Amino acid sequence: MMISQFFVLSQRGDNIVFRDYRAEVPKGSTETFFRKVKFWKEDGNAEAPPIFNVDGVNYFHVKVVGLYFVATTRVNVSPSLVLELLQRIARVIKDYLGVLNEDSFRKNFVLVYELLDEVIDFGYVQTTSTEVLKSYVFNEPIVVAPTRLQPIDPAAIFTQGGKRMPGTAVTKSVVANEPGGRRREEIFVDIIEKISVTFSSSGYILTSEIDGTIQMKSYLSGNPEIRLALNEDLNIGRGGRSVYDYRSSSGSGVILDDCNFHESVRLDSFDSDRTLSLVPPDGEFPVMNYRMTQEFKPPFHVNTLIEEAGRLKAEVIIKIRAEFPPDIVANTITIQMPLPNYTSRASFDLEPGAVGQRTDFKESSKMLEWGLKKIVGGAEHTLRAKLTFSQEFHGNITKEAGPVSMTFTIPMYNVSKLQVKYLQIAKKVSSYNPYRWVRYVTQANSYVARI
Amino acid sequence: MSGHDSKYFSTTKKGEIPELKEELNSQYKDKRKDAVKKVIAAMTVGKDVSSLFTDVVNCMQTENLELKKLVYLYLINYAKSQPDLAILAVNTFVKDSQDPNPLIRALAVRTMGCIRVDKITEYLCDPLQKCLKDDDPYVRKTAAICVAKLFDINAELVEDRGFLEALKDLISDNNPMVVANAVAALAEIQENSTSPIFEINSTTLTKLLTALNECTEWGQVFILDALSRYKAADPREAENIVERVTPRLQHANCAVVLSAVKMILQQMELITSTDVIRNLCKKMAPPLVTLLSAEPEIQYVALRNINLIVQKRPTILAHEIKVFFCKYNDPIYVKMEKLEIMIKLASDRNIDQVLLEFKEYATEVDVDFVRKAVRAIGRCAIKLERAAERCISVLLELIKIKVNYVVQEAIIVIKDIFRRYPNTYESIIATLCESLDTLDEPEAKASMIWIIGEYAERIDNADELLESFLESFPEEPAQVQLQLLTATVKLFLKKPTEGPQEMIQIVLNNATVETDNPDLRDRAYIYWRLLSTDPEAAKDVVLAEKPVITDDSNQLDPSLLDELLANISTLSSVYHKPPEAFVTRLKTTVQKTEDEDFAEGSETGYSSGNPVDSAASPPATTGNIHPAGRQPAPAPAVPAPVPDLLGDLMGLDNAAIVPVDEPTAPSGPPLPVVVNGQGLQISAQLTRRDGQVFYSMLFENNSQVVLDGFMIQFNKNTFGLAAAGPLQIPPLHPGTSARTMLPMVLFQNMSVGPPSSALQVAVKNNQQPVLYFTDKIILHALFGEDGRMERGTFLETWRSLPDSNEVQKEFPGITITSVESTIELLAAFNMFFIAKRKNGSQDVIYLSAKVPRDVPFLIELTAMVGQPGLKCAVKTPSPEIAPFFFEAVELLFKA
Repeated sequence: MMISQFFVLSQRGDNIVFRDYRAEVPKGSTETFFRKVKFWKEDGNAEAPPIFNVDGVNYFHVKVVGLYFVATTRVNVSPSLVLELLQRIARVIKDYLGVLNEDSFRKNFVLVYELLDEVIDFGYVQTTSTEVLKSYVFNEPIVVAPTRLQPIDPAAIFTQGGKRMPGTAVTKSVVANEPGGRRREEIFVDIIEKISVTFSSSGYILTSEIDGTIQMKSYLSGNPEIRLALNEDLNIGRGGRSVYDYRSSSGSGVILDDCNFHESVRLDSFDSDRTLSLVPPDGEFPVMNYRMTQEFKPPFHVNTLIEEAGRLKAEVIIKIRAEFPPDIVANTITIQMPLPNYTSRASFDLEPGAVGQRTDFKESSKMLEWGLKKIVGGAEHTLRAKLTFSQEFHGNITKEAGPVSMTFTIPMYNVSKLQVKYLQIAKKVSSYNPYRWVRYVTQANSYVARI
Repeated sequence: MSGHDSKYFSTTKKGEIPELKEELNSQYKDKRKDAVKKVIAAMTVGKDVSSLFTDVVNCMQTENLELKKLVYLYLINYAKSQPDLAILAVNTFVKDSQDPNPLIRALAVRTMGCIRVDKITEYLCDPLQKCLKDDDPYVRKTAAICVAKLFDINAELVEDRGFLEALKDLISDNNPMVVANAVAALAEIQENSTSPIFEINSTTLTKLLTALNECTEWGQVFILDALSRYKAADPREAENIVERVTPRLQHANCAVVLSAVKMILQQMELITSTDVIRNLCKKMAPPLVTLLSAEPEIQYVALRNINLIVQKRPTILAHEIKVFFCKYNDPIYVKMEKLEIMIKLASDRNIDQVLLEFKEYATEVDVDFVRKAVRAIGRCAIKLERAAERCISVLLELIKIKVNYVVQEAIIVIKDIFRRYPNTYESIIATLCESLDTLDEPEAKASMIWIIGEYAERIDNADELLESFLESFPEEPAQVQLQLLTATVKLFLKKPTEGPQEMIQIVLNNATVETDNPDLRDRAYIYWRLLSTDPEAAKDVVLAEKPVITDDSNQLDPSLLDELLANISTLSSVYHKPPEAFVTRLKTTVQKTEDEDFAEGSETGYSSGNPVDSAASPPATTGNIHPAGRQPAPAPAVPAPVPDLLGDLMGLDNAAIVPVDEPTAPSGPPLPVVVNGQGLQISAQLTRRDGQVFYSMLFENNSQVVLDGFMIQFNKNTFGLAAAGPLQIPPLHPGTSARTMLPMVLFQNMSVGPPSSALQVAVKNNQQPVLYFTDKIILHALFGEDGRMERGTFLETWRSLPDSNEVQKEFPGITITSVESTIELLAAFNMFFIAKRKNGSQDVIYLSAKVPRDVPFLIELTAMVGQPGLKCAVKTPSPEIAPFFFEAVELLFKA
């Protein structure tokens, strides 16, 4: 149940951190790993699975912000433990360094080694709690400025981050002091929902799903107790009904298929009044994860038309409509559509007066791309693309193009209707009134319209 | 702290090491600390800074924890290469282990355990003893892990000093972190020990279940995994355990959830109440599905595990097929796994939805994924009889898009569908034939040709279609050639007209005269003989009814499945292989060097078994095909007439092949066991038969899995013995055995150095790590048939050789019963009688023999008949081999 080595490699395969805990894996494991991952298949395109075995050594890896976090072992360990551990190490280091990138690693390598020695002993995980680690780790982080300038509005920071899981909260270390020497008392609670929707070619919803997280990052001194109240009409479990039946179950209340909680969360009164109480540890952590297949209104409606226009030509029309209130604005929207592989050219027509939009035809992958900086609720946008083919198409063009997929971020909006009704901080003194940020964001996970 | 650590990476023009040395000895604390940081920086980028050992160790005595940790980090790295200097650190370690600050105490013990230097280990015991009973839980939990470290270095020491008992006491510690580490350490020690150390009884069970609730998430995993070995006494206890574990399913940590699932599945085996089981299944479904919301890497692990779970308990996720639909942005490795599970969960109820998905996937970009989706449709057709027609119509739709690899994949699966539902869907053959010229992959081509041959009577222009392939016959891959051969024979038997007759002659000629492929040639000869001796019999054989294939997508071998389920939430469940198939912990250095020796001596390379197996028939395409579902090659599957024919045919062939086919010789004298590892027992001995040396081998599979892909390799040896052909061992099912006679050649890989009778052998297969063993070269297996000498020559040679070439040995334990029987016995091993005489009451026998490369052996045996004691004298130009001869004599007379 233990790992042999832990290391972090850059995208180019450079060794950033390397720690051997058991001296049982031969030298050169970093190179072996990198070569295997880079050339999983001869063409170099296929993605290597997160776990593989080379010459009796098992390699585990996750990719975080473009870096490879890798563990090796020779024994039959729990793979979910190792992968989870790798994610957590990334999180702990981010808690300490504020920003996770090659530069911050290099500037703080002594701190990182100190952390690793407390996190893992002889290959066994000891703790990954930033809170606990604070008592044993003495180096202070050298804070690296994030690559992008930090905007003033916290909600704007919030929209940055990785594709899969937005880098929430802020890019500041949980242990470093502010330049002024005093830490600002504040707490962030983020409700992040990643949504997956598949529309059939006729426009109805084939599958829809919400993966949600209530994430917390506390900068409160003295670890006060916190109460978090959720919707009172929250229900858990579909009562054994299958996913097929969810349409009939819509009605009142928010129904979660399943949820789980961070170990610091106490659920004493959860059943009666849907409140969670906890003493938040330092660092970023998920208070609660939930999953939902209850019907919800998809934020975007996508309509795609592809029509032949002569022997070697066709026209594509993509229309998207934002189905949310006008005071909400979605940003960083990308729409992609694979075109038939004999497409040689695509010319685009945007609607008159369009701003903040870009279009592209990626010759190598035959991919149509349409980007929009923002879409205001209720708005509708259309793209027309004229395609030229290098050969005549056989029969059914819709079979060789599509589906249309979309990525987007919608701040201050959530589709599940799950809400934090209030966030109560146990008061030390009456004047104690820290900043509280409760923020919602909806992101596309797999948002696909078939054609 | 000011400045950036990265400045420590910068180099200076002045020699780096001397500069660092100077700084390390600075009188200023800060400067020393900075210097150590620079040293560590250099170390992490792989520079050798071991020459600074003394200077760094001098910085060790400090109250500054930050600095102390850095020095310790350095020590761990270099102590092994500087064991004598490492001793310098011992005093500080021992002192630190008594420091009033618990962090320093723990740090000392933690670091000492990481320094794998014997001399330091001795000093570790006393501090460790104290720290195991320390007041501070942080020190105790560190000490617990340190016991495992010490066990890895010196297991005896751990047992002698009573650390195991101390560790067991920690299971009852009041701090859950300490309990968790004690459990982890004990579990590891148990795994590497044969004696029972960490047995879980109902008392420990209760203790650990209580600790479970208070542990950190990681500790919960340690405890759950340790407890999963516990076998409940009765259903009641099992239910109780499950009740305590079920709340863990709500944990946010995926590892906790999967370990809890494992534990529950184990206990469910004992639970008899169907209500309880149903309830548990219901409880496990949502958390399992929730795992699919985690990062893709975790999803992959979850999917591989779910794949196993649904094979055992299909009801758990029967209604959740939708969650396995592929997302557009899933990584390919997740998509592939989801497809597998979709096939497993496909039922008459959801097949329409599933087909809609598969159809969509079949038009995506990734070629591998598209192919797998097409195959998935075929597998559903085979699995669900009522849906077969719908599946086929989807396949036909896909064929019409005319994407080349889709068409080929579709044809391959349709061939399987025909095998599953004979005489049902042949109406689509016409559509398939339209794509004939676009096929360029061997498997697709072979499948199409099989279809044409199989249904030749219903395809009007079958002869034209096949004829179009004949021109390119010599260039086709073996797989296609074999199918063409069989299809043409089928066509001829079904339509014995002029056209097919001509075709068959062309094909048979091509396949017997113009080919190097023995499989093809043998099959062609069999057909030829069959057709020319008894066409009716040929019909019975070639057109015999084939067994209907079944869907195997749910079928892992049940015993393997059970083993894998017991290993849920381990690597084993991700690889779908039993742990012993991939866990190769290098425990001894001896094994390592042996490994390297073999690598060097690998001039001959592995000779692979069953080299052309896949060419024998178009392999059915449905995944892990069950032997019963295997497509029988049309002809070779015939039972009765083949052996005779084969023997006949072989007579025409190169005689060298003959012995290769002997492996099936049912039994022979018992062979000595040479190795037994991981359930595979091998018995073997060198023997000589018909003038050739063989390695007679017996493989017995006592493991739980089917073993296949056997290969053998011989290390360099005195006589240069090596395999003359591939090792031919069929896949070995658990509990079965196989015998083979492996033909050997001499002087292939000669070792240098003094002669030795050792024969080092490596055997491997697809499932297990390489097995190494050392056998003895028995000299009489090498004695040639041409060893007979004329009396005159014998005497002449005896005289011409100097006395220093004579070697003698007495065998007091051997008794000769009669001169005649002795001569007879030795003659059987190519030791030829020259003369005998009486010397008083003793009989003296002279014999001659010859070892390869014409080295004569002149032998003189002296004994008294009926009395114990045999004197053996040998005179030979190569007296260094004489000891092997004596070994042989001993072996022969003892037997």
